[in-house]
Order: sequence, then structure tokens, then C-alpha cells
Amino acid sequence: MTEKHIKISSEQLPAFDRKFFDHHEIATCIGSGFIGGKASGLVVMRDTLAEHFPTGTFDSMTANIPRFTVIATDVFDRFMQQNQLYDVAMSDASDDVIAHAFQKAELPAEMVGDLMALSQAIHTPLAVRSSSLLEDAMYEPFAGVYETKMIPNNQASKESRFQVLVEAIKFVYASVFFKGARQYMKALGKSQTEEKMAVIIQEVIGRRFDDRFYPHLSGVARSYNFYPMGRAGAEDGVVELALGLGKTIVDGGLAWSYSPSFPRLMPVVGSMGELLKTTQTSFWAVNMGEPPEYNPIAETEYLTGAGLKQAESDGVLKNLASTYRPQDDRLVTGIGPDGPRVMTFAPILADNVLPLNDLVKTLLRRCEAVAGSEVEIEFAVTLDTSADLTAHLGFLQMRPMVVSKEQVTVTEEEFSDDRVLAASDKALGNGITSDIEDIVYVMPDSFEAKHTRTIARELGIINQQLIEAGRKYLLIGYGRWGSSDPWLGIPVIWSHISGSAAIIEATLPTMNVDLSQGSHFFHNLTSFKICYIMVKHTAAPAIDWQWLENQKEESRAQFVRHVHLENPLTIKVDGRTGRGVILK
Amino acid sequence: MAGVPPAFYGGRAAWQPTVIKANLLYWGFHGKVRQVRKAPSMATDKINPFKLAQSHFDTAAERLNLSDESRQFLREPMREYQFAIPVHTGDGTVKVYRGFRVQHNDARGPCKGGIRFHPMETIDQVRAQAMSMSWKCAVVEIPLGGAMGGVPCDPHTLSGRMQEELCRGWVRQMISNIGPVRDIPEPEIMTNPQHMVWMLDEYETLTNGRYPGFITGKPVSVGGSLGRREATGFGLVYMLREALRRKELRPQGTTMSIQGFGNVAQSVIKLYTQIGGKVTCVSCWNQTDQKPYSFRKDDGLDLEQLLLITNEFGEIDKEKAEGVSCEVLPGDAWMQQEVDILVPAALEHQIGAENVGSISPKVKIIAEGADAPITTDADVTLNEKGILIIPDFIANSGGVICSYFEQVQSNMNYYWSRDEVFGKLDVKMTSAFINVYELARKRQISMREAAHFFGVAKVAEACRIRGWI
Repeated sequence: MTEKHIKISSEQLPAFDRKFFDHHEIATCIGSGFIGGKASGLVVMRDTLAEHFPTGTFDSMTANIPRFTVIATDVFDRFMQQNQLYDVAMSDASDDVIAHAFQKAELPAEMVGDLMALSQAIHTPLAVRSSSLLEDAMYEPFAGVYETKMIPNNQASKESRFQVLVEAIKFVYASVFFKGARQYMKALGKSQTEEKMAVIIQEVIGRRFDDRFYPHLSGVARSYNFYPMGRAGAEDGVVELALGLGKTIVDGGLAWSYSPSFPRLMPVVGSMGELLKTTQTSFWAVNMGEPPEYNPIAETEYLTGAGLKQAESDGVLKNLASTYRPQDDRLVTGIGPDGPRVMTFAPILADNVLPLNDLVKTLLRRCEAVAGSEVEIEFAVTLDTSADLTAHLGFLQMRPMVVSKEQVTVTEEEFSDDRVLAASDKALGNGITSDIEDIVYVMPDSFEAKHTRTIARELGIINQQLIEAGRKYLLIGYGRWGSSDPWLGIPVIWSHISGSAAIIEATLPTMNVDLSQGSHFFHNLTSFKICYIMVKHTAAPAIDWQWLENQKEESRAQFVRHVHLENPLTIKVDGRTGRGVILK
Repeated sequence: MAGVPPAFYGGRAAWQPTVIKANLLYWGFHGKVRQVRKAPSMATDKINPFKLAQSHFDTAAERLNLSDESRQFLREPMREYQFAIPVHTGDGTVKVYRGFRVQHNDARGPCKGGIRFHPMETIDQVRAQAMSMSWKCAVVEIPLGGAMGGVPCDPHTLSGRMQEELCRGWVRQMISNIGPVRDIPEPEIMTNPQHMVWMLDEYETLTNGRYPGFITGKPVSVGGSLGRREATGFGLVYMLREALRRKELRPQGTTMSIQGFGNVAQSVIKLYTQIGGKVTCVSCWNQTDQKPYSFRKDDGLDLEQLLLITNEFGEIDKEKAEGVSCEVLPGDAWMQQEVDILVPAALEHQIGAENVGSISPKVKIIAEGADAPITTDADVTLNEKGILIIPDFIANSGGVICSYFEQVQSNMNYYWSRDEVFGKLDVKMTSAFINVYELARKRQISMREAAHFFGVAKVAEACRIRGWI
């Protein structure tokens, strides 16, 4: 298939069957209209998997699409209209006010019976996920823009399960109008009223361990990597793995990143201590225990975080972790000896106890063929250690990637040009931009890690002002952009920085961590063709702070300064070499 | 058409105070509201309704091979109450009315049934309805028994004060034999939510407490259920959706013609349109011309637009209808339309032997929104044609199911969201449809027969388990 645009209507899916799990259909539909981009991708992959994995097996692994039903877009339309929600949704009301207004509204009468039947029949966790129409129509990534809600769905009464499910659906609907989503749409030049939302209700892949329900590992794999490491090339792609729910990866938490062509290749780190700091130590699970505080407008209402100790006591680390031996400062595959556990996934990737990497590579190839472009996929895996080790991969999502093929060359000579504001041989993206007249930067002198949350808020405000003014800008900050750990970087979400055209991720002597390499926002960066340039404070040439200081100040917050330039910048990134330069 | 009486079709609002204006009266029952100029026909002229109900029971009992004791027990009500209610007329005189309550069977739970104020009301009519309620509650699997009550009277000749006294008097006479765990009344023909509130107030005064679960059909502000107004019509569409699935049809692309434009019909049109269907014809009464008309629009009627040109009595303005591109046709044209679905949602006996032949061969499903809109003769013909009839027994049971929901909520004094009410209603209706449809298919009988069979079997089983028979 060469047509990238996949648009599937509800009529192409069988109607929801109230037996759900007993029914043979993997994908069903409630209501009419379209099913949105995410669901369309799943439907296409359902057919692809059926064609290429007719038995559903791959050596000692099985793979399929977790059963799901989609609430089609007409239901969203009716919900909005019958409750007259556009007034509040398009107002300046805060996210929580909008979310509450949606919670008070009523779902269309024709579909609540299906939800009630589903709640009656199913007692295992469900993921309620957005599947946007514009995501589908515009062939744009909306990763992280709209909300997903995981619900335990294990309450004793079907009425309680129904209530929680309904709340989750309304929450996902409301997220179309949250501030972040609106800014994102504005950056795309679209209005929120054009958006229509389908909602996927899907079984969660995982196992229950005490009060936690989670998969042994989750993964995101991309078939193209603009920042290849070591021997790997861009076409080799990149895979990120994490223990537990995929939220860790999607939110930009610490995950294990590797090239599927070189699964044994360790990331380049300065020391074992650094490796320990940059690998996963906590994970997300669905909370199956005591009901949490009632908060239907929080994405994490039914999620719980846990550490590796809990995972080890759950018995899931055996085939996932390595152990650090301080006595000889090295890692040992598995959890045989005592010592800190390190989430390297070495038993699978290095010792090949499961053919996960081969399966992922195969899936990437199949998805690329279907989408006609580079792709990003998400999956979750559960292991069965009862006899011979086997595993099941649940395929969760496929998104086409936008990869610029523009030929750009950045020469060595350009690095020593007097006009260089910043330069790096670790740049992400591909292309030339020469119309940026605004720079927003975190002032290096006043920067401290303890202020990163405040900095994120300040950036969000300036970002909104510049979006409203229709001005793209260069953003400069320190540490891992989008880190969920405020001590490792500035914990922005995408809506805080969505108006930027280029981003510099720098280090300072006081924030000298491994950079994120854009991993938190990879898909958004590549789709918006945003250049992402990493500059170490020790690099030469360094960022020209003095020149920045002398530029005309448009606004200044406590930690962030916005300057407006007389002449636009030229930003060049060569995607093949990973070399980028910003010229004054 | 089997004699359309002047009393015809429905009004709009589920909750309307009694209006005494010339010879007009609104009343509501089970979410259905009808506007009349005089009391409607109750089809009691020729056949004793109780004898007819007993004969239907006998047929089902024969199929079920029920024991003689069971037949004897179930073909008669368990309890009957007849009493006098004195009402002060306001001019110094007192008029004495006769009150009834028949509790046919309470093996499956407390009795449930309406209260009618109707001049043609007879004890046999009440007995028949009470028996019917037993089967109806059983077939939709709500844990209630069957009852019915009433007072032969014409409430539009009574002042509001007299109606209140009648309601309170009825409760005083029945106080020992009704209540949230014994027998729960609800509105029926010519009684409305205001009557229910007076009855509730009397009951609570006499029992010295607050028992909103004593009666259903109350306004939401005193313990009524959300969604009750739409429940009958929406419930019918839930069943219709299931019937379409069995016919391997999607609602999109199907068409409907409907008789009546009252509360039930309006709710049917609303939800059916929402799921993608197209209503091309609707009929309603015209008071000026004293006859009904049908209104057709081949590319689909717009409910909101129709409501704008409909008066408070549920009559579509003939002239204005033409102005919005509706064809105005004779009253019985609704059933001659080339549509997939017919919904008689007005009066009983509208499709009879004399007009059944005018139904288009394109029609695949008839969903009975009204009680007994098809005569026995016509029923046979339609079944022979292969038309799937969703019988009134289940098709319009959304009202009684929502009544049950109201009772449950009132007993808990905890009220559900509309989402929850409709979610549960859909599940109940769908489940009832599947039960009856599958039984009909397995036994090669009509859905009407299957519904009867199912209901009687459930009640008989409850009596047997209790050791009564």
C-alpha cells in the first residue's frame, strides 16, 4: 500500500457484540461515523497480522491485537451537541472546568447499553484511548496530545465499572479541548471544532501481581532513527523498552533504547554509575487495589507507580534485568547475584531467551509495507514462565512517521563560521529554516534544577503568546527536555514548547546529564520538522551566550528570557550526518 | 382502518398538570401521554377482556403443559379489592366512586401496575390488565408481580380538588394492602404524575414516614427517575435495533413510518434517527378537521422541525407542514408507506383484517408502540407474510422497566444518572428481545406467542418454587 492516509468508517467494522471477549471479532464498533487514526491503524494491522501470522505465533512468542471496540465519531458529535458543550469547550475555561462540564454531560442513549453490557461482561483492566479524526485525516501525530485513561475495571458491581468507564470516555472527549491540545491544533492551523474523536476501549495487556496489573515490558519501535548510535544507521530504527505500562516511554521517562540491528549494543555511557542513573528504576501499573481518591479528570487516577523491588517480588525481573556487581563494577545478566537490578532487558536482547527483537523487526517491516512510509509502533509483552519460556506480544498502535528527505549539507567549515550561535554534531531532524526571529532561552546564570517546574510553566506562557502571535522560535534549555524527573531536566509537556521551530538541548556544569536526544517528543519533532540540537557545555564552538544577552529583550520571566532579532536565524540540520548549525 | 375514534394520539410532555379546559384533558401513563377530547375507546364493547386474557393464558399453559392446579391458580387473580370512595363535590354534596385493585400474582415480587381513572373501567378490564402485567414483568425479567387498579370516572369532569380527594381516598382504602414491598401503583390511562404525588403524600401521611418507593411515575423533583419520559420510546428502538440485526440490516439506510406523534412516537423518532434511520412518515390527529393526517417527507422528517409546528396537544399544523415540504396525506397513509419499519404508537386495533392488505411488501418489521395495535386476524396475516412483529408486550415495556428503576432508586433514595438509566434499560430490553426471539425461533412460533409463553413460564416457575402449586 502506498496510500499513507488510512481512513476507516464504522461500517467497515462489525457492530459491537455484547459478548465481547467470547466473540471472535478482534475489532468492533459502537455507533457510526469514522473510527479515527489510531483505530484505523489497528484495523489495518489486524489484517496484516492475520495475513502474515495466520497462526498468531512467532517461534516461542504469540502476537495479536488486543481485543477492542471503537466508539465512532458520530457519537462524539451527538455528545457535544445534545449537551451543548461547545460553549464551554471553546471558552477560556481551564482544563479542569472543561473536564467537569464533560463529566456532568450525558452520553447518547443509543450507546450506553453497549457500555453497560461491556461493564457487565468484563472485569479486567481496560484502556480508554483517543482515536482522533484529524490525526487520521491530516496524517499527523497526535501522540500525547489527547488523553488516555487506564481503568482497573475490577469493581464488584457492574454499575461501578460502568460509571468509571463512562467517566473515562468523557475524560478522553474533554481532552480534545484541553489547553495543550488547543495549542497543538493552533500550531497546525486547525480549529478544535474541526476535530472529532473516536474512542478505543481495549483490553490491557498484562498480568495481575497483588494490586498491580502490568505487562512485563512495553515498547515503542521506530523504523527510522535520525539519531543513530554507534554502528547503527538511521534506517536501522530504534526501539525503547520499559518495564510495566508504556506510559514510562510515552512520558519520556527512563527507558532502554537500542537499535534493533544491534540489540546487544550497550548505550555509550561514561561509567557504570552513569548507566545506573539512566536506566529505569520505577514503572507504571494499573492500580487494582484500594480505590484511589476520586478524580475522574486525572489521567493517572487508576495508575500506580512502583519500584524495581516490587517488580522483583512480583517475579517479573528474571528475564528482563541485569544485576550490577559493585565488587568488579560490571553487569551480570539476570538477577542471580545480589545487587542493584538494572533494566537492560539483556536476557532477551543479549541472551535471546525470547525472539522479541526479531519479532519487532518483522513487525516494523510489515508495518512499513502497509503504511508506505517509516512507522512507529507500540506494543506490550507478557511472559509466561510456567514451563518453557513463552511470551505474548500485544500490538497496540501503528503510526506513520513523517521523515524529511530534503538534502542538507552542513560542512566542517560552517562550524567555525563567525556567525555560529550554536553548532553540534548531534542534531536531530533534517532541513533548513531561515525565518526564525525569536529566541526563548532559559537564562544560564539563574538556572538551578530545583526550579525546573517553574521554568516549565514560564515556557508554557511564552509559548502560548508566540503561538497566538503566529511566531515560531528557537528554544534553548538544559538537561533532558520533557523529563518526568525534574532533577534531570525541564519537565515540560509538549504543549509548553509546541510553537518552537528548533530546540537546543544543552548541558551546563550544574545540569550535566545524558541528554534525551529528543526521545520524549521524537514523533512531534519529526512531524513538525523541528530541529533538535544537542550541545554539551564542553563543546566547541559553545553557545554564544554573550550575543544572546545583547539581543533586544521582548519579555523576561524569573528564569526565562525572550529576545526578538533584527535578522532571522538560519538553522541547518543534516539528517544523514546528524550535524547541525544555527547561524546568527 | 379500524375506526379511528375522535380520541387520538398523544401530546408532548410527560409531566403535565391536569388541564381541565372545555373538553380537553391531558394525561400521562408509563411515560406515554395522550391528549383526548373524550375518554378513549378501551375496546371492551364486544369481547370481555378478562376472558380474552384467560384464553391467551390457556394457550400458553397448554404449550407449557402446566398442571391443572397451576392453571387454576394463575388464570384468576390472587386478590381483588373493591371499595367505595366518597368525594365531596364542592357544592355540599358527596359523590361515591367505586375503586378497584386487582393483584394478579406476586410470586416474583411486589405487585406493580397502573391506576386508571376512566369512565369505561370495569373490574374485568382491571383483571385482564393485572394478569397482563404479571406476564409482562416476567418476560422482561424484572422482579415484580402484576396488578392493576382504577376508578370508573371521567376525571376531566372533576375539579382538581375532587381528583385529589379521589386519589387520597383510594389510598386510604388500600393502605393495608399496598406499599413499597407489597404493591406499587403507577400512572395509567388518565392518571398523571400529579395524581401520583397526591397518592404518595397520603400514603406517607398515614404511615408517618417518607416512602418514595411506594409509587412510581413521580416528577423527578419528588423522587422520579431521569429518563422515564423517553424510556418507552427509547426501549422500543433498542429492540428494533436488535430486530434489524437479526434481519442483517444496519439502521442506516432503513426507513420508518409511525402512527402517532405523542411522547412515545417522538422518543422513537429521536433515537431511531440518532442511530442512522430515516423516518419518512408520521401521522397524528387534527382537532379542527376531526380526523388524522399523515405527513410524509421522502428524504426524512426532522423531529426538531416538526416540533416547532406542533401544538401543545401534539397536533402537527397541516398548513405549516406543507410549508416545510411535507406532503399531507390521509390519516391511514402511514401504514401504506414503502418503508422497512412500521411503528403503530397510537391506539389499539389500528391494523385489522380490513386494512392489513395495504401494508407494503417492503415492510420487514412492525414494532408495537401502542397496546394491541394489531388485531388477531391481522396478526396471522402479517406473520404469514414473514413480517417480524415485536409485540407490545415487550416492545413498549421500556416504561414499566423504567418504573421498576424508579422504584429501586426511590427505595434506596439514591438516584442514577441518565447514562446509567439508559444503559440498564438497553441491557434489559435487549436481553428480553433475545430471550423472546430465540424462543420463537426454536419453537417456530411468533414473538407474541413466545413472549406470552416466556412470561407465563416464569410466573408459574416462581409459584412452584415457593411451594404454592
